[in-house]
Amino acid sequence: MSKHTVTMTVNGTKYTREIESRLLLVHFIREDLELTGTHIGCDTTNCGACTVLMDGFTVKSCTVFAMTANGKSIETIEGVAQNGALHPLQEGFWEKHGLQCGYCTPGMIMSAKHLLSNNPNPTEDEIRWGLSGNLCRCTGYNKIVEAVQYAAEKMSAEQEQDA
Amino acid sequence: MRFLQPGTLEEAISTRVDNPEQSVIIAGGTAVVLMLQHGLIAPEVLISLEKIPGLDSIRIEDNRLHIGALAKLGDVADSRLVRQYFPALFAACAAVGNVRVRNQATLGGNLAEADYASDPPAALMMLDALVEVKGISGTRQISLPDLLLGFLTTTLEPDELITGVIIPIPTEQPRMAYLRYNNRSSEDRPCVGIAASATFNDAICTGLRLTVGAACEIPTRLSEIEALAVGSPLTDTRIHEIAEGYAAGIETIDDLQSSAWYRTQMIRVHIQRVLKGLRDG
Ligand SMILES: Cc1cc2nc3c(=O)[nH]c(=O)nc-3n(C[C@H](O)[C@H](O)[C@H](O)COP(=O)(O)OP(=O)(O)OC[C@H]3O[C@@H](n4cnc5c(N)ncnc54)[C@H](O)[C@@H]3O)c2cc1C
Ligand code: FES
Ligand code: FES
Repeated sequence: MSKHTVTMTVNGTKYTREIESRLLLVHFIREDLELTGTHIGCDTTNCGACTVLMDGFTVKSCTVFAMTANGKSIETIEGVAQNGALHPLQEGFWEKHGLQCGYCTPGMIMSAKHLLSNNPNPTEDEIRWGLSGNLCRCTGYNKIVEAVQYAAEKMSAEQEQDA
Repeated sequence: MRFLQPGTLEEAISTRVDNPEQSVIIAGGTAVVLMLQHGLIAPEVLISLEKIPGLDSIRIEDNRLHIGALAKLGDVADSRLVRQYFPALFAACAAVGNVRVRNQATLGGNLAEADYASDPPAALMMLDALVEVKGISGTRQISLPDLLLGFLTTTLEPDELITGVIIPIPTEQPRMAYLRYNNRSSEDRPCVGIAASATFNDAICTGLRLTVGAACEIPTRLSEIEALAVGSPLTDTRIHEIAEGYAAGIETIDDLQSSAWYRTQMIRVHIQRVLKGLRDG
């Protein structure tokens, strides 16, 4: 096994660690950094539970080597709330009952965050396409779509206020 | 296992030459990581192409669109140039998997993987794209039929890498489409994918290119059937004849997703849909 040193910024904090070359990003995040909000649902690129943002784009962290993330910026579910205040997406999942067991929720929220950053006012169809590939066994998805709509409306309203 | 990130193509190629049996190339990793997880491969060395600069560019040069092998499928789909000149390629790349797969998977990886259940290859073959390949003895440009040999098999030599794809920009912008049919969930791999482009002079069809992918081991284009379209209007009867010609001329695949018989029916149905769409503009 060969060791490598990687440095990456996760939720704004820079971490340097020595890792095995075959370590996947999801294990780096969960085990080396002890950020266990990013879940593993399948380990085989199917479920989206492990979704994180890498340099602003969503990826499945079970399908990326930690080595590939070297030098990059990662955002996980732990970085979404700011100064103790829930992000509008988190609030939306709460208000609209967008979760039951919660296992898929971190991946859903990261995917929705990427969607809203590219498309602040998505249609229902666009939300469904944007989240396709993030599997949920509990909710039937309707409440998740409503949660994202809630967040989109709230974020647009906040933007207008700022402007 | 060692994970190497060479900074140049030459270095990547010579690393491959030094470890022909024990090394595997990795680009976006969407296929390679799965193969590792399933224990299908156990390389001693992974050669990542990610750090090689410039391999992900999308640009026009000499009236041809050049797409680097490391361009992500999402970037190809988002490219203004691709959308403007090659809407069928846009549609094929935008149809792949889901947004997280497209953010990671590369065009070169998609071609090198050579899985028939793919979208971009049919569109690229329809567009007469050339694949640029670089190895120890130099660079060559090959057509898709010359690259793809069969399921998970290409003509790439062990020392060769795909460096990009080159597509000639047509002088007259044709009407183009890519239609993908999934018989299971929307993000599943395609059952059938049809790429087509046609030019018209008033109602008279002056040229047709039609490629069927995902249903057969290698995307298939039947020029003698394409020729049936040229010189007359694309009537429903003519379209039916073309669809029958492709359905009869393609040996379809039987797998867990669909039977060969079903794929043949879907080729017939979807070719008619695509061609009517192009005709009716
Ligand atoms: C959930 C999921 C859904 C999918 N759905 C679809 C779909 O709907 N349609 C579709 O078309 N595809 C689909 N795919 C497949 C996906 O498009 C391919 O896995 C991807 O394009 C491969 O690119 P990569 O960069 O990730 O390749 P990698 O996994 O890095 O490599 C793939 C293969 O190509 C080789 N390779 C990579 N780059 C080069 C190069 N430049 N030169 C030579 N060899 C190279 C590698 O050694 C390996 O053998 C799906 C994949 C997943 C995981
Ligand atoms: S754990 Fe990564 S996609 Fe399921
Ligand atoms: S809330 Fe249980 S899997 Fe989605």
